[in-house]
Amino acid sequence: MQENNADIKKRNIRDQEPILELRDVYKSFGDRQILKGVSFKVYAGEMLGLIGPSGCGKSTIFKIICGLLEPDSGEVILRSNDIGLVFQGSALLNSLSVRDNLALALERRKLSRKDEDEIIQQKLSLVGLGDYMQSFPTQLSGGQQKRTSFARAIVDDPKIILYDEPTTGLDPVMSTVIEDYMSELSNKLDAASIVVTHQHSTWTRTADRVILMYSGKIVWEGSAEQGMHSDNPYMKQFASASREGPMLAGVV
Amino acid sequence: MTESLPKQNNNPLTAPFRFIEEQATVGVQLIGQVCLLFVKTLWYILRLDLDWRETFRQAYMIGWKSFWVVLITAIFTGFAMSLQISRELVGFGADTAIGGVVSLALIREIGPITAGVMVAGRVGSSIAAELTTMMVTEQIDALKVMRVDPVRFLVVPRYAAALVMIPTLSTYAMFVGLLAGIIIAKSAANLPPETFLDSVRQTILDRDFAVHYLKSAINATIIIFFSCAIGLNTRGGAEDVGIATTRAIVWTMTAIFIFNFIVTSLTYAPR
Repeated sequence: MQENNADIKKRNIRDQEPILELRDVYKSFGDRQILKGVSFKVYAGEMLGLIGPSGCGKSTIFKIICGLLEPDSGEVILRSNDIGLVFQGSALLNSLSVRDNLALALERRKLSRKDEDEIIQQKLSLVGLGDYMQSFPTQLSGGQQKRTSFARAIVDDPKIILYDEPTTGLDPVMSTVIEDYMSELSNKLDAASIVVTHQHSTWTRTADRVILMYSGKIVWEGSAEQGMHSDNPYMKQFASASREGPMLAGVV
Repeated sequence: MTESLPKQNNNPLTAPFRFIEEQATVGVQLIGQVCLLFVKTLWYILRLDLDWRETFRQAYMIGWKSFWVVLITAIFTGFAMSLQISRELVGFGADTAIGGVVSLALIREIGPITAGVMVAGRVGSSIAAELTTMMVTEQIDALKVMRVDPVRFLVVPRYAAALVMIPTLSTYAMFVGLLAGIIIAKSAANLPPETFLDSVRQTILDRDFAVHYLKSAINATIIIFFSCAIGLNTRGGAEDVGIATTRAIVWTMTAIFIFNFIVTSLTYAPR
């Protein structure tokens, strides 16, 4: 039987060292334990879908990876510090133009303005916003802001890209556009990507591998295809968006 | 076995003490945050590690955009003060001293206080609201992820701009107040402007200007650091933006009056 492209990609990925690894990470806020021993690995060129109901600790994992939060215990092993994060709400600085928002991420490289402009123009063109360099975030639509946030996250060619609910609040057409960008960028940059989402289409269309979290723990792991047909009670309930199952048991 | 929860103290007799304790804790925390921010900002300024473009933008926002509001406040403060002083001094036959007394009050107290309070109301509140909004909308987190220090990017340009613009506004308030004083002295006490200015020249010492600029620089420090510390340490939602704004105004204005008194008592107390 001949291997298809997806299988070859998967085999190549697994031959490498993981670019990011979480080992038994715990995190609490006061009395509330958010993460209870989370461990996973992500490889270059791979898109990992991190899914689960709201409040299960997905965004906390991102903050720990970015260094915005310290884990209580466990290890976060980063083989590259070049991280780009696409925020749920875009998080663009309103007082700066699109160009200057992107230039901030290049600041530490101390490039000339001409070189900066060249890189920024190239990245904006990649997300279809080449003509918007001098616009301000408030002059852009929600989808354009999201794409600017994408361009900002990748402007410094990061080795790890984190997407925090990138399609939340967008219409289905724009969601598809954004999902296509994510897949395209993952292939072009050969970066390790993690997408946090509970949008069905996002993890089924973009993720090579999916991790389902519930109550601070990983309860299922596999491919999106496997997830759709899984017998795991958590995955089955999440994939079918059903009220019946172990998640939120007792909630009326 | 059941574990007993700590009992909540609802005794109404101790309520005022609990309130004082809570407020004192919040106050000590804020003062600690202000001190840390001040040291970090000073470190950047001493190394001249400044974003000049942002500093000029902030100078425009803090200084130029406050010119009208300071002008109006200074005119009417000058009018009222000069009217009161003229009335009393004319009664004692000391009308030639009007200029000296008005200018003393303006240079030593009213100029820095007027500019400080107006800038605290206009700029301090807007800084606190802006930074809190940036916290709430994850813009500060975005800066940290891009490895841009929020203190260098947000606080340093504001402080550098305020250190130049607030003393400038104080000087401006002082001259506008003096002009208002001259107008009132002429119209209410029939005092010629030359006599008014002669009195000013004989009364004002170089030390008064030094104290004026010292107070203005202290006001700039208070306004920027209290507003920024409150803004950068507030989390939550839209409601918290309003709370942070109010806190910034209350703390900056209170601190301005307290430090104004401290400087006055250190420089002008009878020996």
